[in-house]
Amino acid sequence: VHVPDGFLSPQITLPALGAAVPLWALAARRHFGPEALEAIPALGGLTAVAFALQTVAVPVPGGTSAHLVGAALLALHRGPLAAFACESLVLLLQALFFGTGGVTVLGVNALALGLLGPLAGWLAFLGLRRLSPRMAHFAAGWLALQVSALAVAGALALQHRLDPGYLPVPGGASLLSMMLPSLAVSGPAEALFTLAAMAVLRRARLDGAAA
Amino acid sequence: VLRRLALLLVLQPAIAGAHELLHETRPGGAVAVRVYHPGGAPLADAAFEVAPPGGGPLLRGRTDRNGWLAFVPDAPGTWRVRVADGAGHGAEIPVEAGASASTPPPGGGPAWLLRPALGAAVVLLIFALLQRALRRRRA
Repeated sequence: VHVPDGFLSPQITLPALGAAVPLWALAARRHFGPEALEAIPALGGLTAVAFALQTVAVPVPGGTSAHLVGAALLALHRGPLAAFACESLVLLLQALFFGTGGVTVLGVNALALGLLGPLAGWLAFLGLRRLSPRMAHFAAGWLALQVSALAVAGALALQHRLDPGYLPVPGGASLLSMMLPSLAVSGPAEALFTLAAMAVLRRARLDGAAA
Repeated sequence: VLRRLALLLVLQPAIAGAHELLHETRPGGAVAVRVYHPGGAPLADAAFEVAPPGGGPLLRGRTDRNGWLAFVPDAPGTWRVRVADGAGHGAEIPVEAGASASTPPPGGGPAWLLRPALGAAVVLLIFALLQRALRRRRA
């Protein structure tokens, strides 16, 4: 789902970084201050799980691959802003040590995978939890991944529109290649994972903000 | 007429040679084949196709400017490389692939397990250090 380095020009990466920096500062103040001491171990564990999930890519027919993100679970546990900070850490480590994504596109990837997707999942949960908490968890996982994939496809399409020489892949092709695996494979898998993980967290009384 | 026949006989090897192609192969992990005319001129930008033992072509392409083409056999046996340009030059080259030519395992070894484990360990370390720092600040 990540955008690699070199796919987006500074016209997109710099404004995205500009939007991400104040949100990182806000998230650090809200969720990583002394008052959040007791929440740190569970948050760290879920971030580690998110990292592990994102490194295991499953081949998808058509020559591409898909992976889970785990950011919806973080949003349900501590809120979308905490998910944004934790997912940003995952993306930074992946860019620095594993060559996945990239530092120049960190803002874009963090906003797409860490904020927009988890925020959509969180809102879906808020809207559906009275009907059925399980359905709300499932929907949150599924929707978070779709919105993240859509946001990444949107960034790629915007780059093609701004300068087709920089990214020759047309927006429609980016949209298809991002959304088909997301809708058919990784979305349902992320939904099932979120549902199962929330059930485990509830039993362990660690379901945090989504309780 | 005799002089013309004599001239034809003298030139005949050169005429035939123009439709002959030579080649050299360098087997290994990948097989590189260079095709060239008897005078040494490379057969550049010529269409080629590669067929596995007992099968139809599975790779098509064009030679580079020095007449080279390359492929990686994934099955032992005799592979066939056909090269032809548009001027009637062509060759079918048998390439022997040894028993070591086999499909590599997908995933590239234990990296698929090491990457998530190492990354998760680094994340946990960062959060442990953060918790320690916050505890000190609170104290």
